[in-house]
Amino acid sequence: MARILVVDDSSTVRDEVAGFLKTNGIDVAIAVDGKDGLAKLQADPGIKLVIADINMPNMDGLTMVEKIRSDLGNHAVNLIMLTTESSPQMKERGKAAGVKGWIVKPFKGAAVLEAFKKMVA
Amino acid sequence: MNAVTPLVHSDKPVSKVLVLHEGRKHAAAIKAFCAANDLVPHKVRSDALLPFLAANIDLGGILLADDYGGSPSAAWRTARAIRTLRPELPIFLRRGPDFRVDDVPADLRHAFCAIYAADDMGVLRQAVSDYIFSLVYPNALVRGISEISEAILAERFSDWHVRWDTPFVVHDRVIFGEVLSLIQLESAWCRGYMMLQAEEAALLSLPVEGASNDGSDFRGGNSLLSELTNLIWGSFKNRFIGTAVASPAHQVQVPLIVNLDHRYMSFGTRDPQLCFRYTLTRADGERRVTLLQRFVFNINWLPEQFRELTQAEIGTADAGALELF
Repeated sequence: MARILVVDDSSTVRDEVAGFLKTNGIDVAIAVDGKDGLAKLQADPGIKLVIADINMPNMDGLTMVEKIRSDLGNHAVNLIMLTTESSPQMKERGKAAGVKGWIVKPFKGAAVLEAFKKMVA
Repeated sequence: MNAVTPLVHSDKPVSKVLVLHEGRKHAAAIKAFCAANDLVPHKVRSDALLPFLAANIDLGGILLADDYGGSPSAAWRTARAIRTLRPELPIFLRRGPDFRVDDVPADLRHAFCAIYAADDMGVLRQAVSDYIFSLVYPNALVRGISEISEAILAERFSDWHVRWDTPFVVHDRVIFGEVLSLIQLESAWCRGYMMLQAEEAALLSLPVEGASNDGSDFRGGNSLLSELTNLIWGSFKNRFIGTAVASPAHQVQVPLIVNLDHRYMSFGTRDPQLCFRYTLTRADGERRVTLLQRFVFNINWLPEQFRELTQAEIGTADAGALELF
């Protein structure tokens, strides 16, 4: 079954996003930072979409997505940033790394649910 | 905790001062002075002074008369008690028209930031400007912080009413509540911190969507305060900082001191902190949560270089919407 990996150092955000997705019938995995996210993605081929924060300890979200494309060589998984960052420069870096979409926090599940479903279909 | 009296919302911070004057002779003059100089006067009974000072309140300074308590010697005792309990608070001493500095006890001469005659309020005005409002906070910054924070709280807790008091500056260093978040702010025009402070029990009463915790785990409160801090910090950066990075010349650090026993936190500077207080009230009125937000620009403060970013610099994405590349 296709899964979404939620990567955020905040348990509040993880609970909120994962809870919303589960309630809407989507299978979810969670990771607490970029390093954990890389490991979870590598271990689970069922993950079709990664929703990641940027500002996290150990490894930030943009470094994680760069490593997903380069070190893991995974160009298939969809990558979406869920972050408080909204500067054009930061988005450019995300685009260059292969990020497919950008959500400025706070998370509003109803606004993005259909797009998420398409990405894991 | 005693709230600063809510005034008409202003972009210019006020400050709360404790007025230790007796009798009515100068009361009207002090009241008028406070009104004209963005001060919110607060009075307390003399027998309640020490508990008042020991409590968690936000003070900008103390106006002390040299006959407080009935005589100068009683006023000196009060000054010593203040210095012991709240050494960070500036004390403004009012004296009679023919006062001499050398009749102040030697150990107290440096305890007062200003000594002024009752008939010369110009000295007090200058001292208040120098010691309480010593840092200039641009109106656009003060207004922007209120708007950002109120919007985030209202969005996050849609069933709660959010109210904020007039922003204020404080000199005390006492931590409100039991939970405190701290995040660095760094740009070409500022280097310092933003804090959010809250009482733990109140914080745990706030709802968290999807959370498995039932409010009994303190880590849930920590995480919630952390996320609120993150959201406000992100909006602050997007609106006021952008890509304006701090100069390498300002890459200094100073130790922060936290005394848990006294709930005291120092950033190594005597400069005033810019404060905001938000009160969240649940729709049924049964629960109330206070969040205290403090800004301390202890390493670098260049308000003349402050500017609000333009919409083009900020970008166009709506919060919560998915922007596909």
